[in-house]
Amino acid sequence: MHYLGIDIGSLSCDAVVIDQSGAILSATVIPTGARNREAIERAMKEVLAMGGLTENDIEAMVSTGYGRDRVEQRLTAVTEITCHARGIRALLPETRVLVDIGGQDSKAIFLDDQGRVVEFAMNDKCAAGTGRFLEAMSRALEVDIEQLSDLDLGSTGRLSLSSMCTVFAESEVVSLIAEGAEVNEIVSGLNRAIASRIQTMVKRIAPNLDGLAVSMSGGVAQNAGVVRALSGTLGCDISVPQKPDTVGALGAALIARDRSQTA
Amino acid sequence: MIGGYFEDLESRLERILERRGDRANPRQIYAYETARLGRRLFSGREKMAWCGLLVPFEILSVMDVVSGFVEFVGGELALMDRIGPLLATAETAGYGSDICGFHRGVLGASIEGLMPMPDFLIGTSGPCVGGLAVLENLATTFNRDFFLLEVPQTDTPEAVHYLTKQLRAMVDFISAHTGAPLDMDRLREALVLTNQARELLLEVFDLAKSVPSPASANDLPNFGFVLPLLLGTEAAVRIAEAFRDHYQTRVAKGLSGVPGELLRLMWLQNRIQFQEPLVRMLENEYQASIVVDEFNDILWDPIDLDDPLPDLARRMISIPFTRRAEQRVAQLRRLAEAYQVDGAINPCHWGCRQGTGARGLVSEGLKQIGVPVLNLEVDCADPRNFAEGQLRTRLEAFVELLSNRPSPWQDQ
Repeated sequence: MHYLGIDIGSLSCDAVVIDQSGAILSATVIPTGARNREAIERAMKEVLAMGGLTENDIEAMVSTGYGRDRVEQRLTAVTEITCHARGIRALLPETRVLVDIGGQDSKAIFLDDQGRVVEFAMNDKCAAGTGRFLEAMSRALEVDIEQLSDLDLGSTGRLSLSSMCTVFAESEVVSLIAEGAEVNEIVSGLNRAIASRIQTMVKRIAPNLDGLAVSMSGGVAQNAGVVRALSGTLGCDISVPQKPDTVGALGAALIARDRSQTA
Repeated sequence: MIGGYFEDLESRLERILERRGDRANPRQIYAYETARLGRRLFSGREKMAWCGLLVPFEILSVMDVVSGFVEFVGGELALMDRIGPLLATAETAGYGSDICGFHRGVLGASIEGLMPMPDFLIGTSGPCVGGLAVLENLATTFNRDFFLLEVPQTDTPEAVHYLTKQLRAMVDFISAHTGAPLDMDRLREALVLTNQARELLLEVFDLAKSVPSPASANDLPNFGFVLPLLLGTEAAVRIAEAFRDHYQTRVAKGLSGVPGELLRLMWLQNRIQFQEPLVRMLENEYQASIVVDEFNDILWDPIDLDDPLPDLARRMISIPFTRRAEQRVAQLRRLAEAYQVDGAINPCHWGCRQGTGARGLVSEGLKQIGVPVLNLEVDCADPRNFAEGQLRTRLEAFVELLSNRPSPWQDQ
């Protein structure tokens, strides 16, 4: 018996297949692009092929992410908050506070000692500090988004950005480059700006982090610079699972398995 | 445009009510009576006053003045999907896009010449200063007299005395504009109806507390705000009676407003006024029922027919939303317990300092009794800023959270 979880985000479409024990059989991450139905189909085909499976081998499927209702064959749609919580519980069971930064949403999720969601906070009104924000900044810096990860190393941390609006921050970055600011200083400023924004959400759900294990999931968790900045701002260590971008899809697959067993 | 809308709605509902007779739905009766009031406000054929939310409308009614609060107009504009261009008009005129959409809509309507000229205006210092500013704006635009009732935030004999004196002055102010004194016999008759409606409303709210609740989310939205516009008239009694009978029948048959009710929710402050699919989604997909709204409660005693003004003053002061946050939180805790809610939704209406200023205290106060609160960010009257997908995710995550935890009332 196998179970499929699919996370349709604004930037990437992630799929994970697990077996009865919850072990990951295959996982894939593809860009969502403009047509999310095509991305869903492609991600499903890819993850099944990688596991040497066909659709008939899938006992149940749960979808999540902003496009969760677009998956026709799903058992049910579950929000990314619940799925990320379920996924991180499987990978880093001690997690009590989870930060998930995706393409257009950032979330802070507080879990009880059983891994259930107790409270959550999400970015409101705008997507500053999310994957889209970093995408725009990498464009302004003329570097690949993957490269951003370590570009802050060696910075003094003295440069701060005055705006977190994606449009204004992009022009501010362009101005800073024109003024001759070092790229590592700019990237460090960007990371700290994101961290400061995330911090307010984390503090809202967990005013005191003493003794609470903090983890991070979502595509932006692959950016070591953002993780470093957030760790510094929160004053605690942050654990990141091996493939943070598939945590939501893993959670969805686990929920598919759990629900299928109790049905 | 606005008057025509109310006129159409009134005649359509009138036909429905005639056709359905005794089988009329209480929501249709409620909609009919509010449409009728809206039509009268915009008809230009009666003495009319724009007022603040807390004004005792019975007094104006028996002095032959049709009256309403301006937020009623803002809400109706949003409901009829006509508010967008008016909000843009207000913004073009320089009003900030982050001030309350209900007020911005009325300001836009005023600029466009769509607000009828009142004979006078009566403001109340609570619940919000934004509404007061809109009234003052209209008073200036129309060059009409404006009377202000300063509503104290404490329920003390001195405060009641202070407000009673102002109500007497208000009666004189109205008399000066209508040319007729207040007929105490007519007021007494009206207050008999107020007291009747009060008794019926107590029954309605009590029935709504049943588990499962006979109430569905769209039965009584903003009821605690809007029904007082009709107090002192047969209309309020008719509406309250219709809901009482409807709920009594449902409870007797064991029927719930939301079939298979799984979750019971409380809605804070005002509802999202324009058409949106999320409340229906909560009911249909999660069997989550909004069983109570913050203002759907009776916190005042029957009005003394022989000396009504002090009791009307007490009624104005009784609303916890207009008082200290501590009292509002205590009231929300009482409602949460009485209705056994699993969670509360606070829309955190943009631009409402009164409503959102105490957001943290409200969340904390309800959390202490095991009731989680979902804080949204939405202008309840501005559909242009409605991020449906974002709000859907928050609401769905909230009901998922509630579904995975025991009810805070399971041991009671």
